[in-house]
Amino acid sequence: MEKIKKILFGRNEQSGLIFKIVIYLLLIGVSFIFLYPLLAMFARSLMTLEDLINSTVSWIPRNPTLKNYQTAFIWMQFIKALTDSLQVSIMPTLATVISSALIGYGFGRFDFYGKKILMFLMIALFLIPSVLTYIPTTVLYRDFKILGIEVKLMDSLKAFWVPALFGNGIRQTIFILIFYQFFRIIPDELFEAAEVDGSSTLRTFITIAIPLVGPAFLICGLYSFVWYWNETALARLYFGSEYTTLPMSLDSFIATYSSMYSQGQLSMDAASQTYNIGVQYAMTLISILPLLIVYLFAQKWFIEGVDRSGIAGN
Amino acid sequence: MRKFAWLSLVKRVKNILKAIKKYFGLFLKYIGFIWLKQRFQRIPNRYKKMIYGLLFIAPWLIGLVYISIPIFLKSIRMALSDKYYFITGVGWQITGKWYEFTQFERIFTEEPYHLSQISATFEDVLLVVPLVVIFALILALMLNQKIKGIGIFRTIFFIPVILLSGNMLMNFERNSLLTVPAIANGTISSFMTDYFPDLFNEVLLNAFGQIVLILWLSGVQILIFLAGLQKMDKSIYEAARIDGASIWELFWKITLPAMIPLIYINIIYTTIIYANLSNNALIQLITSSSDESRSLAGTLTDEINYGRAYSAALSWILFGIELTVIGFYSLVVRLSSKKYD
Repeated sequence: MEKIKKILFGRNEQSGLIFKIVIYLLLIGVSFIFLYPLLAMFARSLMTLEDLINSTVSWIPRNPTLKNYQTAFIWMQFIKALTDSLQVSIMPTLATVISSALIGYGFGRFDFYGKKILMFLMIALFLIPSVLTYIPTTVLYRDFKILGIEVKLMDSLKAFWVPALFGNGIRQTIFILIFYQFFRIIPDELFEAAEVDGSSTLRTFITIAIPLVGPAFLICGLYSFVWYWNETALARLYFGSEYTTLPMSLDSFIATYSSMYSQGQLSMDAASQTYNIGVQYAMTLISILPLLIVYLFAQKWFIEGVDRSGIAGN
Repeated sequence: MRKFAWLSLVKRVKNILKAIKKYFGLFLKYIGFIWLKQRFQRIPNRYKKMIYGLLFIAPWLIGLVYISIPIFLKSIRMALSDKYYFITGVGWQITGKWYEFTQFERIFTEEPYHLSQISATFEDVLLVVPLVVIFALILALMLNQKIKGIGIFRTIFFIPVILLSGNMLMNFERNSLLTVPAIANGTISSFMTDYFPDLFNEVLLNAFGQIVLILWLSGVQILIFLAGLQKMDKSIYEAARIDGASIWELFWKITLPAMIPLIYINIIYTTIIYANLSNNALIQLITSSSDESRSLAGTLTDEINYGRAYSAALSWILFGIELTVIGFYSLVVRLSSKKYD
């Protein structure tokens, strides 16, 4: 009796069986809710038009088909959209990471007058909502001058990577803070030793500091990539029709689709073969698939990022 | 003869260029560069480091002067103007005096067409933020258990961190994927209305009605809580257990007080992220009224309906909403955590 009780309810350190079962059930339930939209989209993306119209079919398609994916691939010109997406996310990501590393190093390893004020200013400016800067930014970028040189930002990738180079990428303050934190925890002795050996500051930075903060580069690179990938409103505003990324193309599909069927009703006509909810879901899944692949390979770094960034209070 | 003259001319130019190069080099070397370098070496180490530090953050400083601050000032000036438009060859035009607060008058008294959107957004943010923070804390506690297969659950729980965007949420909302049907209209709601007080029901049913939204919003918050939980000293728990504290007491007396700084961070984070996602009414209003033609031309025709100044004022109102929500919940947390100090 005593033994059963021990197994079921556990003792001090070990949690009991009942507790474990409850936790597992809760975790599975919550996981289902997390995945619900994705699963629902996946199920419906495999349905034929008849299944979509038929309201008795809700989860399992009667005869699964990949035709929706085929339509989606063709509609969004997958290869071109993918290259555009990669271009739009990789270049600004590189700029973000490089400038964040420099700025983080400057803040993390050197003391100068006004450093605290500058950092406070940086965080304060970050807390200002992006929507507040949305309109003035477009006004500013339209005829942008930096150090007296006119930079044509609009209709080119520059609209993304030039600001990123100067510390104004998407949520870049977070990356600067991550680098700041990483550089700060490197022991001083390493740098002093290098200095005694006559290494210049730049050389110390490149040969000693950078190799030690590899994870920071990964974390910032990944997050920045994801955020630039998901950015559609700014991209449409800045690039116009120059670049059509996967999420942008999904957006325009949704716009066309919802203007055709404001109530979402479907019929069996020719237009519905292309414009239906199944194709839309297929497209959504296609546009997030690259991110999911990146995530599955790099999830360790994603999760470590917040831990190391010092947001959690160290 | 002519050819010879031509050659000599080329030679002469080349010589001049060479001389310029030489003297410029000398000039740089002996008057500017070397001197500077020597001077620099004579500077005490402390100041040298300062200069290096400033050089490293120079990109950010340039960005601050040329991008961040102008944008900030522009957004203030825009919100306090009557019209803000572009004329080719002339530049940006601003009409209206700043102290007249034209746009705010328009929004609140003269043309109060959008007050409902403002209050809807306010209510929405006010409701969702605490729910997200509470759910995040509960989920983080669950993920902090040492049981088998927790890695898989973590992977699933953090998927929204990468997929969350305003468009994605809008996509869900349009296709009613924000709630799991079995939860929304099943037995839970009828059970609740029978046994619990109304206000409580309303909040909780609201939570169930957008459970997917709330969970999807809480990815980073779970991470923050989890990082905090894993940093906690295990020996405190052991000591408390030996003294006979139950799990319930452990949570309220040890875990929660340690989480309070993180609760503040998460309140701020959630409010900012959620208020800026493009699926709330105010954001849609701001983006649709700022640039009618979506061309950035900034011409006067774009200003006919509402225009940039109007949406800049709206974004300041949104900012006000964010600050109010953050302030309100920070105060709540502060007052309720007073007994821990």
